[in-house]
Amino acid sequence: MPDSQPILEVLDLHVHFKMLAGVVRAVDGVNFTVERGRCLGIVGESGCGKSVTARSILRLLHSSQTSGQILYHPNGDDEPIDLVNLDPRGDAIRAIRGKDIAMIFQEPMTSLTPVYTIGEQIMESIRQHQNLSEEEAQELAISMLNKVGIPDAERRFADYPHQMSGGMRQRVMIAIALCCEPRVLIADEPTTALDVTIQAQILRLIRSLQQDLDMSVIMITHDLSVIAQLADFVVVMYLGQMAEKAPVVELFQNPKHPYTQALLRSIVRPDTPPREQLHTISGSVPDPRNAPSGCRFRNRCPSVHDRCLEDPPVVEFGPQHTATCWLYVDD
Amino acid sequence: MPDTPILQVENLSKFFPVQRGLFRRTVGHVKAVNDVTFTVNKGECVGLVGESGCGKTTVARCLLRLVEPDQGRILLHSEQQTFDIASASRKEMLDVRRQMQIIFQDPFSSLDPRWRVTDVIAEPLIAQKIGRAEASRRVLEILPTVGLGAHFADRFPHELSGGERQRVSIARALVVSPPLVVADEPVSALDVSVRSQIINLLLDLQSQMNLTYVFIAHDLSIVKHISHRIAVMYLGRLVELGTTQQVFEECKHPYTKALLASVLIPDPTHREQSYVLEGEVPSPLNPPSGCHFSTRCPFAQEQCSAEEPDLRDMGNGHLVRCHFAEDLDLSEGVFALPLATSSASA
Repeated sequence: MPDSQPILEVLDLHVHFKMLAGVVRAVDGVNFTVERGRCLGIVGESGCGKSVTARSILRLLHSSQTSGQILYHPNGDDEPIDLVNLDPRGDAIRAIRGKDIAMIFQEPMTSLTPVYTIGEQIMESIRQHQNLSEEEAQELAISMLNKVGIPDAERRFADYPHQMSGGMRQRVMIAIALCCEPRVLIADEPTTALDVTIQAQILRLIRSLQQDLDMSVIMITHDLSVIAQLADFVVVMYLGQMAEKAPVVELFQNPKHPYTQALLRSIVRPDTPPREQLHTISGSVPDPRNAPSGCRFRNRCPSVHDRCLEDPPVVEFGPQHTATCWLYVDD
Repeated sequence: MPDTPILQVENLSKFFPVQRGLFRRTVGHVKAVNDVTFTVNKGECVGLVGESGCGKTTVARCLLRLVEPDQGRILLHSEQQTFDIASASRKEMLDVRRQMQIIFQDPFSSLDPRWRVTDVIAEPLIAQKIGRAEASRRVLEILPTVGLGAHFADRFPHELSGGERQRVSIARALVVSPPLVVADEPVSALDVSVRSQIINLLLDLQSQMNLTYVFIAHDLSIVKHISHRIAVMYLGRLVELGTTQQVFEECKHPYTKALLASVLIPDPTHREQSYVLEGEVPSPLNPPSGCHFSTRCPFAQEQCSAEEPDLRDMGNGHLVRCHFAEDLDLSEGVFALPLATSSASA
């Protein structure tokens, strides 16, 4: 893609939490680039650091130690802004948060406040970032509700969250995130709590809004099917580290990291023979507080080797395809 | 296998009253389960699918009598006798629970945090008046069958991962050697890499111990993988029932088709979604008249909102609740059309 331009670059990001039991290295050396108008998928299981990565982009984690760079390119040629250097409570990040970079959270049940109407909650974001009068903000809010497919938006505007279903609340979340026409939308498991038919509706909505607004999307999920349907480029994470990153078709057709390979083999596909044993990954994700040294996947890896006790190298397999594994390095 | 029924559910209904106001007047009923009839044969796995609010969990809870059914019979055939669970006495229920157990959805909230694994697994045995010593012996016996070492017996739930907790729940259900197990979303709370382990375990146990499963899930790929027969529910009603082949390959109800079409395919080269169902499940407090699905059905006719269709046999035990089951062409291309026209007119 010659015309692809980065809008967000994450370089060697580390997010550590100091706890009584020791330091949790929730994100440990993550690199990726989000291109304009494209969708980056971050996939991994619980504890892999995908949500922490997302939250650190918006500087929502106050008690963490963050190092590395998160470069935001508002315009093609201007100096990028390093979000890591901004004060998490300062005005600079608050001008970006919700306006340039917006986020949809996982649980539509808990991320809206129950004491304000959904109209007020959308207008809060609009009035914060745009110089509009009350009436103009209300008009914009109603048109956003229409855009995300809420029927009878003018009446629903005055509803409280408890009067809406899960799918409707998730649409409200999306409306809040999109009302300032963000350049980057971070969607953290936006459909996990929803039914399959509603999931299909929401994903179709995100995809069409992405095209209409020429927006970049960071889609965070544990579900490889969602990745397959939406992402252009994929980062696979395991216990805070990047196992593999690749363009989506390449990742599904030619996975290199044993973890990616195992994940792809273990999903039930439409053509999986019924009632046959599924491929599994032995064991379970370890507690991030006692993550193994060296390659963090080594306890569960079928191709484990002595070398895996040391930190694995990043191996390149062609344009934009890398895996962090010893397997492809000759002695 | 010869079809010997082990569980017969006949006209099962459960209506929850909705109370409002100062005097808690009953203003209506949520028909969570409405006239559901199905049979489970020995050794098979029957999958129960549907969206949230369709009543699948309420069916499971009625089967175990964790909620009291309002109408209908639930016949459980054991070797010695036949129980009607819906009207069984407390004493009879003790015998029923030796025949049927349940695995709950969320292993994080279904285990008491203050109980050790051994106490959790032994509880059904203690309830069956089996002595402590014998109970602990049986606990140590069952742990390896679910893939846990004996050292897990003295652990507390917080020391276990999600997969290990679900193994404990399975052990707790199987320790009384019930022929029938109801599994209510047993894998949906688990990580992807652990999910396939638990599915494999459930399949292994079924063949080893000759178990019969009622398997409830919203993930259709998993239900398809594990089930011999599948029942689809919508707003408390059974809308389609048939073998996995009949429901997945030859489905006759537009709702089933829409459910199948919204399953995401894990393949980035197949991105076209043939059909996305519009709207949401209506409130079960006030379901649409006639066919409950008529408000979202792309094929709805006048008759559909006027008259409720019956569950009809379309041949070989394939039951469908739709007026037009014979006439509808639910093949991919045709089914995609109504979407294009409806979104163009909207």
